[in-house]
Amino acid sequence: MLTAEEKTIAKECLRMALDAGAQKARVTLSKSVMDLVSTLNGEVDKITGCYDRSITISIFADGRYGSFSTNKLSRTSLRDFIAGAVETVKMLAPDPCRVLPSPERKVKDALTGDELGLRDPAYDGMSAEKRRETALACALGSREGEGWKLISEEGEYSDSQYWAYLVDTEGLEALHNETSFEYWTEATIEDDKGDKYTGNWWEAAPLLKDFHPGECGANALRQAVAQIGPKPLESGKYNMVIDRDVASKVISPIIASLNANSIQQGNSFLGGSLGKQVFPQGMNLMDTPRIPGEAGSRCFDSEGVATSDRPIIENGVVKNYFVNSYMAAKTGLEPTLEDAIRPTLQPWHPWTGNPVGKEEIMRQCGSGILVTEFNGGNSNPATGDFSYGIQGFFFRDGKPVHPVSEVLVTGNFKSLWAGLLAAGDDARRCMVKLVPTLAFKDVDFSG
Amino acid sequence: MTMNDRQYYLDRFGVSEQQLRSLVAEGMKGGGDWCDLFFEDSTYTELLLRDGTVNAAVSNIDFGCGVRVLKGEKTGYAYAETTEYPALLKAAKAAATIGSCPGAAAHKAGAPTPLPPAGEYYRIDEDWRTAKAAAFVPMLELLESRIRKKDSRVFKVISMLNGNVSEVMMYNSLDELTFDTRPLWTLAVTVIFTKDGRTETQSVSRSFRSGAEAVTAEAMEGIADMAVKGVDLLFEASRPKGGQMPVVMAAGASGILLHEAMGHAFEADFNRKGQSIFSGRMGKRVAAKGINIIDDGTIPGNRGSCRYDDEGVPGQKTYMVEDGILRSYLHDRISAAYFGVAPTGNGRRESFRYNPIPRMRCTYMESGNDGSVEDLIAGVKKGIFVDQFSNGQVKIGEGDFTFYVKSGMLIENGRLTMPVKDINIIGNGPEALAGITAVAGDLKIDDSGWTCGKEQSVPVGCGIPSVLIKKLTVGGE
Repeated sequence: MLTAEEKTIAKECLRMALDAGAQKARVTLSKSVMDLVSTLNGEVDKITGCYDRSITISIFADGRYGSFSTNKLSRTSLRDFIAGAVETVKMLAPDPCRVLPSPERKVKDALTGDELGLRDPAYDGMSAEKRRETALACALGSREGEGWKLISEEGEYSDSQYWAYLVDTEGLEALHNETSFEYWTEATIEDDKGDKYTGNWWEAAPLLKDFHPGECGANALRQAVAQIGPKPLESGKYNMVIDRDVASKVISPIIASLNANSIQQGNSFLGGSLGKQVFPQGMNLMDTPRIPGEAGSRCFDSEGVATSDRPIIENGVVKNYFVNSYMAAKTGLEPTLEDAIRPTLQPWHPWTGNPVGKEEIMRQCGSGILVTEFNGGNSNPATGDFSYGIQGFFFRDGKPVHPVSEVLVTGNFKSLWAGLLAAGDDARRCMVKLVPTLAFKDVDFSG
Repeated sequence: MTMNDRQYYLDRFGVSEQQLRSLVAEGMKGGGDWCDLFFEDSTYTELLLRDGTVNAAVSNIDFGCGVRVLKGEKTGYAYAETTEYPALLKAAKAAATIGSCPGAAAHKAGAPTPLPPAGEYYRIDEDWRTAKAAAFVPMLELLESRIRKKDSRVFKVISMLNGNVSEVMMYNSLDELTFDTRPLWTLAVTVIFTKDGRTETQSVSRSFRSGAEAVTAEAMEGIADMAVKGVDLLFEASRPKGGQMPVVMAAGASGILLHEAMGHAFEADFNRKGQSIFSGRMGKRVAAKGINIIDDGTIPGNRGSCRYDDEGVPGQKTYMVEDGILRSYLHDRISAAYFGVAPTGNGRRESFRYNPIPRMRCTYMESGNDGSVEDLIAGVKKGIFVDQFSNGQVKIGEGDFTFYVKSGMLIENGRLTMPVKDINIIGNGPEALAGITAVAGDLKIDDSGWTCGKEQSVPVGCGIPSVLIKKLTVGGE
């Protein structure tokens, strides 16, 4: 646990900063413990023990600002470090927009760190032997199928506990505490032509009861086998269905472009979009940061500002930018949070009835490309243009016909989303960005 | 202090040689056949210019020691964020538990092998840790003013200067004690241009292993030139029609091709596990005669250079492909023992928090004899010329690699015609390597701040002469 002594040290750092000539300061003490067991081909391959503790101090001195961190936490080291930090800050240009958040915005209900139920007492019962057993139990061992054999299977089980303790010189005190259980695996197979294919799978949860890694190896292997025998794709426009595992790829650049940091610098294709209909009616993106027991939930951001549910995009209308205290002072925009905490894309589909997942969306689309993995690529934040490598399948009549390889998808985020056909209701709980299977029409693929 | 001062490093980390020996002995008590210690004291400082003033600073101190125990190819790893003996002993005991894991240990790491002596590839005249921020504020302001003077379309300039010094000391169960002080600085600039209601951005960076003395007015002038170069074309650029076509890759930053398409697949951990598309191809032809591809840790001042890697192996220049034949993977001590060869000095890590794994340093191709870049372009009827990139990726098993092109030109009938930007290019590593049909004589090492993200982040370099690749898939509309 986070000790009283560690809390005292964090508070003393505030005093050291004031003594060194700062007028205000904020300190974050971060601490984590993590144990990992990696396996290779059904045997333990690596055991790793991690223990990290550091202090980050934001210093506001003479209208100037800097952020400094260290893992040397003896009082002597900290005093010298903070004195040097204040001295450095005083060499910078003044910036009156650098401020602490106003008191009414700061979190007041994060006292124990466990307000959102993200710490599982079962973590305390984990032992080296249990970790090893879990890792080995998830491993596949040797496998062989018609026309292929498993040549390598890597897995990694880890569990961890994390604390963030935040204090500032204006009375803020907040604690976040969470546990996490994770398993990741990658299977590499070779077909009878000597070609290799890889598949991977990942499961994670803050609470052990929600952690189900048993099928990871089988899922990874299934992915790899499905890719055998890819065919080239003729360049052209196709419907695109993006699997829920990778669909956040077309949401993250939108969230980044709604950040006031980018907008203030003119480096966002969504500047000037607040309150405007930029996306289709069917697009609803919510920030849902306070769902108890769910990965990614947080009571406060790194400034100590309280989180709350809020719409980001509602019926295609941009409802909120991400505006921290600095950007609010700089731009005159209403401050919100510094970033999306746990963005959730709501389901939308023109069909009623049963829950809609990948299979139903593919059936409704008829034919197109199912994207199961992105391979590199990037986007231009100023224009929204993007180009990504993809891996996946050509499908017809709602069924995969053959895998495709060496294929690129290219476009612009505004026009891509204008062609939204459906958003499923199958987002994975273990992800911090909850984005379901998505479908878009008339997307440019190059093969 | 000199970089060869053994006692300096022992004092820096507060340990004695006797304690080092005791820690290694503790690590091997559980049945391990190798143990090493990696001590690190890193100081990072950063200044940020935004909206015309240098108004933010960041710094970070990272201090600690990692203990690694090997049993064959199996690894036990633990670290402490202090170098007090009891904490190190605890880490050694934790790492030692790998010794009790069942499984064969056929290849014992670290058998003594003749290695080249360590060279000196960087020096520090002005230490980043004692240099005052006030000295660099005018430099960043000068850089901004020079950029604005060169182009009236500049809307915003964001620049970041960081300097880092890492002192490291390594000790292992062969009783080898090695140490190094590694400087590294990066200047990165993003310029946002506006014209007739349109916005374009250009990002450039330069990064070297040297002290703060390298940050001069002349250096700012050079980076200002780079930051505005080619902006006219950016405003004119559009997406090409996508599909497969010949690609001429300009000298310098196109070295990302070697990093993604070949370098990762040559890293020996992937080959030891049979995962790489190049597994089992040692000694075979993978490229045309005359092509030499190198991974080099000995280029003076280069971002990827290292006097010793992070396992205490001297930095080296490694020919991966010689005259078109695959000659060497990139090894750490584990894979070197597995393949029965000497380690190549590629065992690198992000910090003491990580165990070392095979990583590239500066990867490049030697110049060829096929004339100039103009000659290569002249030989293409319909294709694309690319010269600026932002990032890349590869799938090791399939060999499919991609890289993102920030700027280039269409080639039509041997001439550059329409500018293009923001397209991804995809290909297959072995096919692309075999498909290099011409290599110009203009090798250029690119000094941008490249960082490789394979499990851990490490600084790398890349370079290449202009090359013609017969066929890659280009993204487009």
